[in-house]
Amino acid sequence: MLPQVCLIARKDIGLLLFRGQGVVQAALLGLLLIFLFSLAGSGSKIQASWMAAVFWLASCFSLVLIFNGLYAVEEEGSAREGLLMAPIPVQSIWLGKALAGGLLLLLLQILFIPAGVVFLGAGQLSSWSTGAGLLFSVDAGLILLGSLFGALGQGQSTKESLLSVILFPLQIPLIMAGIHVGASLLGPASGSESLSSWFSLILAFDAVFAGAGLILFPFVYAE
Amino acid sequence: MLVEARGLCKFFGVKPVFRKLDFHVDQGQVLLVLGENGSGKSTLLRILAGLLQPSAGRLYVGAESGEIGYVGHQPYIYPGLSAWQNLRFWSRLHGFSPDGGRIEEILVRFGLERVRHEPVAFFSRGMLQRLNLARALLLGPRVYLLDEPSTGLDRRSRDALHGEIQKLRESGCAVLWVSHYPERDLPLADRVLHLEDQLGWMDSPAFGKVAPQFASPDTEPR
Repeated sequence: MLPQVCLIARKDIGLLLFRGQGVVQAALLGLLLIFLFSLAGSGSKIQASWMAAVFWLASCFSLVLIFNGLYAVEEEGSAREGLLMAPIPVQSIWLGKALAGGLLLLLLQILFIPAGVVFLGAGQLSSWSTGAGLLFSVDAGLILLGSLFGALGQGQSTKESLLSVILFPLQIPLIMAGIHVGASLLGPASGSESLSSWFSLILAFDAVFAGAGLILFPFVYAE
Repeated sequence: MLVEARGLCKFFGVKPVFRKLDFHVDQGQVLLVLGENGSGKSTLLRILAGLLQPSAGRLYVGAESGEIGYVGHQPYIYPGLSAWQNLRFWSRLHGFSPDGGRIEEILVRFGLERVRHEPVAFFSRGMLQRLNLARALLLGPRVYLLDEPSTGLDRRSRDALHGEIQKLRESGCAVLWVSHYPERDLPLADRVLHLEDQLGWMDSPAFGKVAPQFASPDTEPR
């Protein structure tokens, strides 16, 4: 299954970067959000929790555009049925899209971090390893869920607009945890016990979203 | 026997598309499927491809997932990739190791070798159809489901398509072929399945002649 997942992810990343559409829009939207929030806080010091919230908000909005783009790739050439007829588990399409979405999201987040430093005045992280762990664990949940809901919105503009409406409420636990851990990394240090309970929450939701995707994706995508 | 249907029915809601369809296709046989627009030809092929579920009846297809080559109305291609990249992607997705020689050979057979590195987005309708056929043949399945495969093809390409179908028959593949041009395509068929008034009946091209309603005035001469 892994070779097919990588094959689909590689094809999707190539196509999205080739077109530019989707990725560029997502990057611009995220950067615009960071800039606008910096204007709201100008003249006063922006709290660490606000910085973390803006970062994750920018990531979530970008994620919606990325997955819309990733699933639109099949609609252009009606290749979805071809994928469904291939001798591969249908879930490898979901995972391939999630992997592609994850790598593109990471690419954008690498852009958002320096933008946060410049516009929001974010300082040094108290722990880079915890920061990286937070990024990967929250991103994992976001992309697994994003890939599932991206399949729901494929090729239909009405469903695409529904995507963000349905997706964001489900992302709240991950975003909340991301904001709390992010704020503690940017501001005054919190206790390790508090951090570990937030990480437990993130990993629990990662597992729930992974299970939901594995079970639901074949029904959603074959519709 | 590679394909067999017994009492096959399909309804969209309460509207019947076809009922109690019986037919079979053996190895090395070409079954030409004829019928007017809306008679259920494409629906039948989509059921055989596993893209739709039948409403009732028994269906046997002696081919695993990935051993069915389906050429439908939509080309399963990525416009942002070149012809070569498209074929390599589908080949690898079906578990074949990337064989540049095989891809090259199939591109030459369908006259696409000169545009192999150009994005498919710039291809004409006929070139897309040739690439679609090349994709199906590259994967070397045992059962071919061809839904109006000559759509958009010029005369030379149509002749090449007939040559390919003849080769498929000789290599023992089963071919189900939807056509709107029976006079042109009938010589290649071993059997004919007529779909009309939600029913179907088998016919032999050697004995039966094309019913007048299928011999459309716009039939192109071969």
